[in-house]
Amino acid sequence: MKESLLDILRCPMDKHELELEDAEYGENGDEIVAGTLVCVECGERYRIEDGIPNLLPPDMREETPA
Amino acid sequence: MDLGERRGLETDVYQPAEDSQLLAEAACEGIDRDRDCERGRTTGRPDDRRLVLEVGTGSGYVASRVASETSARVIASDLNPHAVRQARRDGLEAVRADLVSAFADDVFDAVLFNPPYLPTEPDTEWDDWMERALSGGEDGRAVIDPFLEDVGRVLAPAGVVYLLVSSLTGVDGVVERAGREGFSAVALAEESFPFETLSILKLVR
Repeated sequence: MKESLLDILRCPMDKHELELEDAEYGENGDEIVAGTLVCVECGERYRIEDGIPNLLPPDMREETPA
Repeated sequence: MDLGERRGLETDVYQPAEDSQLLAEAACEGIDRDRDCERGRTTGRPDDRRLVLEVGTGSGYVASRVASETSARVIASDLNPHAVRQARRDGLEAVRADLVSAFADDVFDAVLFNPPYLPTEPDTEWDDWMERALSGGEDGRAVIDPFLEDVGRVLAPAGVVYLLVSSLTGVDGVVERAGREGFSAVALAEESFPFETLSILKLVR
């Protein structure tokens, strides 16, 4: 994901901003390929994997539908 | 290759069909026209590109077309991990999220949605990702209604929604529900098929 996407993303639970932690950047440096987004309010953590942030709330994160 | 064979090959992500094409065309045309109408307005964003979100992007077909045919920056989101991976492989900015819940207030100039809309018996639901991409619950509106409740929050002041609705779901009911959330609806395009008529509604406030 592009770093500028951070301005658009919010914690799905309380709509507060997210802080980027442990960011790994891609080869040309303009994309975040891995890291964690942390809600500044509730502290919930959202992983970025293969360049895709997973902003599902904790109870929806399983890979297959219920 | 016919549709049945294509579906057989790709069972995890809804592949583009007539509904996708109808939404892509209406959205591309509308987004370009809106840009012309509002040229010169200040968005507060540094590059002043219009910002478009496609919810439930599936194969990414609609988002890709809007990204290539308009000047807008397009974000593609989906609940389905296979769908967001495919969207990213196709060069889209992908986010795994539930409807618009993970996005900030007042940011999008347009939100596009081809929702799961087929009315489905309760005991046949949510078995796999494809079922989830198609099924709209007993009345066909199980996903559309929560979307309508929250989408106004993420729209910029002049932002609009492009929503695909089928006659199988009932266009009047969706228009009425959108009205209760503060939207008026304009039908932009319509196409009839043997078992349903598809409409693109533009929702404005």
